[in-house]
Amino acid sequence: MELRTTRATGTTMDSPNRKLVRRGLSGLGKLILIGYAVFTLYPLYWLFISAFKTNEDFFKRPYALPLVWMKENIFRAWELGGMGRAMLNSTFVTLSSVVLTLAFGLLAGYVLSRFQFKFKKVAVALFMAGLLIPIHSTLVPLFLMMKQMNLLNTYGALILPYTAFELPIAIFLAMGYMASIPKEVEEAAMIDGNGWWGIFGRIIVPLCTPIVATISILAFLRFWNDFSFALVFINSQELKTLPLSLALFSDGFGTDYSLTMGAMAIAVIPTILVYLILQDQIMKGMVAGSIKG
Amino acid sequence: MPTALRSKGFIALALLPALLLFVVFVIIPIFWSAYYGVFEWKGIGASRFIGFGNYSEILQDPIFWRALKNNLILVISAILGQIPIALLLALVLLKNSFFSRFIRSAVFMPMVLSTVVVGLIWGYIYHPQFGLVNTVLEAIGLESWTRAWLSEPHINILAITIPINWSNIGPYMIIFIAALQNISPEIDDAANIDGAHGGKKLVYVTLPMIWSTVIVTMVLCISGSLKAFDHVMVMTHGGPAQSTELLATYMYNNTFRVYRYGYGSAVSTIIMIISALLIGINYLLTRRKAE
Repeated sequence: MELRTTRATGTTMDSPNRKLVRRGLSGLGKLILIGYAVFTLYPLYWLFISAFKTNEDFFKRPYALPLVWMKENIFRAWELGGMGRAMLNSTFVTLSSVVLTLAFGLLAGYVLSRFQFKFKKVAVALFMAGLLIPIHSTLVPLFLMMKQMNLLNTYGALILPYTAFELPIAIFLAMGYMASIPKEVEEAAMIDGNGWWGIFGRIIVPLCTPIVATISILAFLRFWNDFSFALVFINSQELKTLPLSLALFSDGFGTDYSLTMGAMAIAVIPTILVYLILQDQIMKGMVAGSIKG
Repeated sequence: MPTALRSKGFIALALLPALLLFVVFVIIPIFWSAYYGVFEWKGIGASRFIGFGNYSEILQDPIFWRALKNNLILVISAILGQIPIALLLALVLLKNSFFSRFIRSAVFMPMVLSTVVVGLIWGYIYHPQFGLVNTVLEAIGLESWTRAWLSEPHINILAITIPINWSNIGPYMIIFIAALQNISPEIDDAANIDGAHGGKKLVYVTLPMIWSTVIVTMVLCISGSLKAFDHVMVMTHGGPAQSTELLATYMYNNTFRVYRYGYGSAVSTIIMIISALLIGINYLLTRRKAE
């Protein structure tokens, strides 16, 4: 577990004294790193202990452990904030958007990475431009457009734009990955009598599992956590997603801190769980996505 | 080989859904906002053509310039805060030991949290009465430093940069670790033999080797900072007295609070132009340096 800051080539000629200094420095470095880790984790820890306090306890001893663990907070927040409904909405919207992003993104990525045709360059450039467009700047025109299409306050008002904005990244990740699949694989499948759809469905998609995982993780986190689209496109109580309900809940119950914290704890638990299970893939995926994006 | 005609059919059908969705929901709105930007329109009733009236009003509005300045503050704080800290962390967490893996996952964790949660937690951390910041300051005898962090103009936008940096350092750290691990051990050995250690090695060997990665992270910082919206929306709504307004919240507030759809559309077009300019400038600047 020892974190060695010295390199093998550098240590051979060190005197015992320098070794001691280095060890001291490495210990100090570790302390600073642990301090930084506390800095990133403490807010979350504080959120969880506060979620289980009474308001009085919260005000009197905001940073101590709860005197009494108030599990009721979580249940009250769940009911008052309509968190169950919100979680259902978030789940439905996120899953549908992820599925659409995967289906359309992989198909388009396959065509753009394997075929030569007239408008290929235009299509690639178009999607490429999509990577640079600041999402929020399209909120107003999207709102106006969806108003005329009668899409506002439907699941479609979230699913369609989510998918559309995620497609460029999905397509580029897919294109990059598919370029590494040898053409011989397809030729063999063709001889076996498969058409393009068969090749895509039976050969290419199964080979793409790693990149499918990356695209799904990226998309899941983006959709699950989105606030701005939901804020602008969704008004009706029945359709509100978790982040939106949470923001409104804190506006409405602003002074009932432990209740608000309880609602936040509910909202955070799924993402934390997913992160704990998939952290390596999440880190790799988000980095791949951000570099392309 | 399947016939050329069947290939064509497949190309069209496979590309169509993605292309259609993307064009309708991403590309068309851009032109739509440019179009609505030349109208005075309240969302209901008739719209009135006013040419560049909205644009000249925006450019004369001091709040717009404040919003732009705040956005630039976020860009600068991201470049000066996120990149150096991420690079430093990457340098010391390069090895795959248990300890460094643990610290890495801790640093990365805020990235998966919803921006709403981040905004709300930090709103409490900055709370004037029970907030962690003021509590700590009082505990170490700096009562005079305590303040209402999110209310005082000039300070509040700086206070907002901290949670944004806090949550965004993780990915940059991982990007740098990947870049550093790509430096071949031969180069490292050569540098050691030539007597380059510590800071010298960092400046003359390591940094030039990963310079292209640094550029990428800078571009990401710029585009990321221009997207900032959620944190401010949750923590201050752009207030008090519009002191923490960003371009995106300025657009939001003008459109959905006072219902000036034409004006908001014009703002959204301006945001698009500014982002394109900034990314272009950064591209030119860093390209020259890299040569």
